[in-house]
Amino acid sequence: MQISLQTNPVSLQTNPVSLSDEFLEELRTVVEQRLSTVDAVCFQHGKDESWHESMPPGAVVFAHSTEEVSEIVKICARHKIPVIPYGTGTSLEGHVGAVHGGVCIDLTEMNEILTVNAEDLDVTVQPGVRRKQLNEHLRDTGLFFPIDPGADASLGGMTATRASGTNAVRYGTMRENVLSMVVVMADGRIIRTSSRSKKSSAGYDLTRLFVGSEGTLGVITEITLRLYGIPEAVSAAVCPFPDLESAVNTVITTIQCGIPVARIELMDEVQMKALNAYSKFDYPEQPTLMFEFHGTEAGVKEQSEMVGDIADDNNAGEFQWATKAEERTKLWQGRHDSYYAAMALRPGAKGMATDVCVPISRLAECILETRKDIDEQELLSPIVGHVGDGNFHCCFIMDPDDLDEMARVESVNKRMVMRALEMGGTCTGEHGVGIGKIDYLVAEHGEALSVMRSMKIALDPDNIMNPGKIIKL
Amino acid sequence: MLMPKPDEGTIAKRDEIIRAMQSIVSDEGVITDKEELRAYDCDGLMAYKQVPLIVVLPESTAEVSKVLKYCFENDVKIVPRGSGTGLSGGALPLADGITLGLGKFNKVLDTDFENRCVVTQPGVTNLAITHAVQHKGFYYAPDPSSQIACSIGGNIAENSGGVHSLKYGLTTNNVMGVEMVLMSGEVIRLGGKHLDSQGYDLLGVITGSEGLLGVITEVTVRILTAPETAKAVLLGFDTSEQAGDCVAAVISAGIIPGGMEMMDTFAIQAAEEFVNAGYPLDVEALLIIELDGPEVEVEYLIGQVNKIAKDTGAVHVKISQSEEERLTFWSGRKAAFPAVGRLSPDYICMDGTIPRGKLSEVLREMNKLSKKYDLRVANVFHAGDGNLHPLILFDANNPGEFERAENFGSDILRLCVSVGGVLTGEHGVGIEKRDLMGEMFTEDDMKQQQRLKCAFDPNQLLNPGKVYPTLHRCAELGRMHVHKGGVKFPDLPRF
Repeated sequence: MQISLQTNPVSLQTNPVSLSDEFLEELRTVVEQRLSTVDAVCFQHGKDESWHESMPPGAVVFAHSTEEVSEIVKICARHKIPVIPYGTGTSLEGHVGAVHGGVCIDLTEMNEILTVNAEDLDVTVQPGVRRKQLNEHLRDTGLFFPIDPGADASLGGMTATRASGTNAVRYGTMRENVLSMVVVMADGRIIRTSSRSKKSSAGYDLTRLFVGSEGTLGVITEITLRLYGIPEAVSAAVCPFPDLESAVNTVITTIQCGIPVARIELMDEVQMKALNAYSKFDYPEQPTLMFEFHGTEAGVKEQSEMVGDIADDNNAGEFQWATKAEERTKLWQGRHDSYYAAMALRPGAKGMATDVCVPISRLAECILETRKDIDEQELLSPIVGHVGDGNFHCCFIMDPDDLDEMARVESVNKRMVMRALEMGGTCTGEHGVGIGKIDYLVAEHGEALSVMRSMKIALDPDNIMNPGKIIKL
Repeated sequence: MLMPKPDEGTIAKRDEIIRAMQSIVSDEGVITDKEELRAYDCDGLMAYKQVPLIVVLPESTAEVSKVLKYCFENDVKIVPRGSGTGLSGGALPLADGITLGLGKFNKVLDTDFENRCVVTQPGVTNLAITHAVQHKGFYYAPDPSSQIACSIGGNIAENSGGVHSLKYGLTTNNVMGVEMVLMSGEVIRLGGKHLDSQGYDLLGVITGSEGLLGVITEVTVRILTAPETAKAVLLGFDTSEQAGDCVAAVISAGIIPGGMEMMDTFAIQAAEEFVNAGYPLDVEALLIIELDGPEVEVEYLIGQVNKIAKDTGAVHVKISQSEEERLTFWSGRKAAFPAVGRLSPDYICMDGTIPRGKLSEVLREMNKLSKKYDLRVANVFHAGDGNLHPLILFDANNPGEFERAENFGSDILRLCVSVGGVLTGEHGVGIEKRDLMGEMFTEDDMKQQQRLKCAFDPNQLLNPGKVYPTLHRCAELGRMHVHKGGVKFPDLPRF
């Protein structure tokens, strides 16, 4: 099988459609002056936070309601013009690039929190609401929404990319936390996938289908999410290890013992060095685990003691505790900034963040082999990971103009993905497919991919919804 | 209940189909005798019966694949069947269709403690998975009350829950992967021992698809370490509003109990008479709240729950003092159905789910409906996640009473949908709730759902007549290729 990773910085945009004046006029009847064809605006909407070059759409519209989105999509469907939904543009696999041009629907102005049902532990929001905005809003209810991918992403975008994050080990990914949504389909029809109730076995589970569909099946315009009570006690700890292996083994034993940790994150020595420099910490520059425990006072104490014992068995160093909210915020902000911290290790270079996920029994083996491969190829790449889920990331810090270096990055990345697949894992744990990982899906799913393809055709026969992502038709 | 008209052409070809099946599976794996077929004429929804064309019992994925391929090429309908314990008629046979029984897929293939999962064949019962791993302190969390008999493949088809799904999720939250055979005979694998895969979440779509999309031939499920301790609290209330308030207060205090079940007076009395679980008989509502986890945490939470219960007006509080007592508390709840069955010749069990906050409102309305239809209703439900199981009591020997019970049931489900709930929490739609789908979904919503079906089964051969009140030809829904130009169910779209 031929798998090639697009690492050259040339735009992948092919034959972008041109948008006629009549077509744009028709759109203006819906959104009036909230339409832009200005180069800078289009350029910004064709690019996410990854190394993928911008693929600008021909126009950007700023939608204000589900009905407007429906009208816009109907017009685009009639003219067979591609539609690309846009949240905050914080994705990492080129999800928002307009591969064939078209109209970008910016949903950031649909940012209202519609209803909070504290008794039922759910909330209904518009797709442009950001994660932090939601939690600010919920603060006085004693509830929170746990999914935390690092970036202050929009909830629509997080739903579309099935985002997860540092505490997925306890709260699951977006898959487990979206109860229902309103979606505008490829022909402009508006559908609701389920209701606010906590369980349902009525009809096919369209909710799960749209979670992670990356805008290729429809535009999500309203989302009902599951909420959680803020735990009574929270404490976090940082603990260094003599080598990667003992850190990873600590994770494996913790998970296998069924200790309900809320977060368990690995950062290798390269990342710790970057973190100290960037976020002004003075942690030992060794492979390190960061833990967070949620629960009652008694429960948190017991969990942390059990983990402490497991870490000791693996020759861990000293635990540093953070029980105050400010200390924890600083700690996790440091973890979330790891991408920027890593980039700062080599000013002027570009970063390519990639991730894989394996069954936890193979985690140590997979990380160690990958680390060895990176070192042998003399590349700069820290390894960090939500290791409780078997998920880890490499962030290659590279010079895209150095073709030899790019080739080595490509080969290491490819070997890492194939290694993960061979171990029964998946080619990406949480960044999604976008354009960056399309080719690996073939290797991972085989025949199942043809079902995905016919599903895409069934729901979007003209292939206007974010074409060129997830599946090539 | 109208089903699609049987295709006389297929029935005429019966002998030919039998021969073809005998060339694929072993001789005893093809059941053709009318008397033997009768054993398969319904599932747990016994109000509707139909003898299948034939029953085929394959033993391997390869055999399933060949059977489906044959049916695909010869336009023969297929109804997959697990243990036949489903409550919504999902496995109701078709006169012109093969019932494909998966009972011979009864082996646990791999117990992988390191990755906390079990790989098993779909015919293995839910409880057998726990039995296979409990010696190492593990268990499989979703626990439908029929767990001793229902198969894991059937659980996936219906997205089954149970008393513990409040804390540990439904089947969909505990399935990690499947191997399945598509109608064309192709074999695909979805998911595996790792976290969510990328691409469309086909595993999520398959779970709860009621045998309409493919036949599952292998399953990987997550197993959990058994909690260190579990304790149950029995709480009696004078009014069901108070019990509803208590449920809401526990949840909004951030406590997620392992199970939180509620019963009304009628169900309490029936259960108490049947198993002597020690339930108070002078209350209108009973809550059983189970807390599990590390000893210290359980002790602490019991204290919290106790306090909330007192604040919301509990008149009866009893905490289990031993494992034996905890199980006694549960015995009444788990035996509630047969207990109610003793009091009435017939009953039907409904399965609506509502947002938790609407509990007392719905109970009040339900009592009004009970008076209107002059039928008794007993309520047992998974209060924590708002999943109701009203049991409507009737006597089928009295003319018109079954129809009245059916109408009563439909009104209850309409009520659930009107307060923002769903038609079914865990039993599935099948044929039982098929004609009510329109109450919950618009025509557009359902058309979109059926487009999915076209991606898997364009000729509508898998379990037709279930779940959707109106069958649409794939050609109507989009621009799907219609196989051999053949149009299924010429007498449709409406039945």
